[in-house]
Amino acid sequence: MSQFMSGEDLRSWLGNLAQERTLIAPIRSDGLVLFGAVSRAEEIALDYDNTLLSPKGHLFPATDTLFTIERREGGIELVPASVEGEAAIFGIRPCDALGLRVLDRPFLAEPADALYQQRRARTALIGLSCHKASPECFCTSLGTGPDDPSNVDILLTGAGEGYIVQAVTERGKALLATAPLVEAEVTPPPAPSPTPVPTEDIAEVARRAFDVPYWARLADRCIHCNLCAYVCPVCYCFDIRDHSYMGRMERMRTWESCQSPGFSRIAGGYEPRDTKGARLRQRFYHKLLYMPEQFGVIGCTGCGRCVTSCPVNIDIREVISEMQRLGASSAS
Amino acid sequence: MPPEVEGTGAVDPFLPYLATIRSMVDLTPDVKLMGLELDDPAIRDSFDYRPGQFAFLSAFGVGEAPFGLTSVAQRREGLEFAVRRVGTVTSALQELEPGDKVGLRGPFGNHFPLEDYRGKNIIIIGGGIGMAPLRPVINTILDRRADYGDMLIINGARSPQDLAFAPEFDTWAQAPRTRLELTVDRGDEGWTGSVDLVPTVVGKLKPSSQNAVAITCGPPIMIRFTLAGLRELGFADHQIVTTLESKMKCGLGKCARCNVGDKYICQDGPVFSFEQISRFVEQF
Repeated sequence: MSQFMSGEDLRSWLGNLAQERTLIAPIRSDGLVLFGAVSRAEEIALDYDNTLLSPKGHLFPATDTLFTIERREGGIELVPASVEGEAAIFGIRPCDALGLRVLDRPFLAEPADALYQQRRARTALIGLSCHKASPECFCTSLGTGPDDPSNVDILLTGAGEGYIVQAVTERGKALLATAPLVEAEVTPPPAPSPTPVPTEDIAEVARRAFDVPYWARLADRCIHCNLCAYVCPVCYCFDIRDHSYMGRMERMRTWESCQSPGFSRIAGGYEPRDTKGARLRQRFYHKLLYMPEQFGVIGCTGCGRCVTSCPVNIDIREVISEMQRLGASSAS
Repeated sequence: MPPEVEGTGAVDPFLPYLATIRSMVDLTPDVKLMGLELDDPAIRDSFDYRPGQFAFLSAFGVGEAPFGLTSVAQRREGLEFAVRRVGTVTSALQELEPGDKVGLRGPFGNHFPLEDYRGKNIIIIGGGIGMAPLRPVINTILDRRADYGDMLIINGARSPQDLAFAPEFDTWAQAPRTRLELTVDRGDEGWTGSVDLVPTVVGKLKPSSQNAVAITCGPPIMIRFTLAGLRELGFADHQIVTTLESKMKCGLGKCARCNVGDKYICQDGPVFSFEQISRFVEQF
């Protein structure tokens, strides 16, 4: 027996949820499916494979005010940004939920990133299992899967005319207290099977594939558009700068990408990663070697968005396969 | 005190302390020595730091950048930073005057392990603004002169007027068992000293590697050739220590701008021996 909610009941439960907290859910906008705040359940899109962007931006916004700077009678006062109210993200896929778990590593490490920490604590995650795998998906090669409940508060899995409901955490149970659940004998459809990618021992392999001409060759076509970083549920590099406009001063944080020339450039102009090859290698090594070394987690969730988005077809699945080949051959 | 983050008991690590500029002294045509006092007396009293550590300074409305602390905490003479005009933040900081407010976050990073160098001969090799993080090393050793062996200071700059810490040269040169060697890329009419690149001076002076530690900071090209010269003189990589400059935005191991291999320069460094650096996957 499973807990079950009909599609109609789901919409009414979500509608009620949107009244008591900020509800972030997939919405269709100009033909794209994106996460956004909804006030009515009717706005929510349910027929999507995955959203164009992960919901990372709701916890780590692309531009975020850290504090405002007020000038007062010759003095300065800093007013920190505040996070108010509770939120829920509905429709997060297991890959993106794992992405938030990975983001926790740098952002919640002491001293914790205050804004991220508060948003994370106040945001419930209501996951939705994947009914199909996109051609670019490879989540099962990265420790999660289409119906993985481990990084959400509640997981819904479409079955028949409704959803099987798993309350994963105490917070999930509390949210479901008022939900119209019924006990039902339903069998979920078989979970889709994404095409595997050879991630076994990737960190070990990476140590042996560093100094090879492959990186320069691969990066030759990179136009450093940074899309891969922006669509990635895990990429967390950022920039901080002050923004002054009409007498209002703010310290802002914005997403940044290691593919930008100047990402590592220091005062005086020295550029430690002065080639596209060195920069592209940094992207894959940070994810596949340095994050495992620093945090014990791979910085990729297999969502496939960078594969879909890259205008020059740089494909992390091919990169991982090639690293396996290069790492193996230079060891022999 | 920065306000507590609601419900966490922690303070927001991006909020700087407020500080007041107490002094601004021209060291060179493009370097100013900025003396600061933290506004909050409790933070001022508890703010402790070691040679090699750094802090972020804010020019409010313009931005924030990291600078090595160039003063010595034990001297209790205020916090000093040598700010060279190279970009927007440093230009804005240089335009400020005593009495103006800046922001300060820090101290961050590790430090030169001077306690491990007791009894050793010390060779300080600094180029240009690279002398800023070495100055507190020199002054700490001078304050505890008996604890250390001979000290050789090699300080190079583009021109005589670019030698930033000239007001202290007499004190350094006259200290017991201390030798100061100055060199410039281009001399001028009044210059009677050495006109040579720093690595060339190291090669000429041939400091002994016996019971010695070499501490160097300067432009990447100077460090590269100095390192080669020191190795030729028999210095092992663990006897050569530097402080790595890196792009940094947070100082907290979060923004990943200073990521090199499994290290964040801001937290694991900025001070590394070349033995540690040679183990980095990626060589800068």
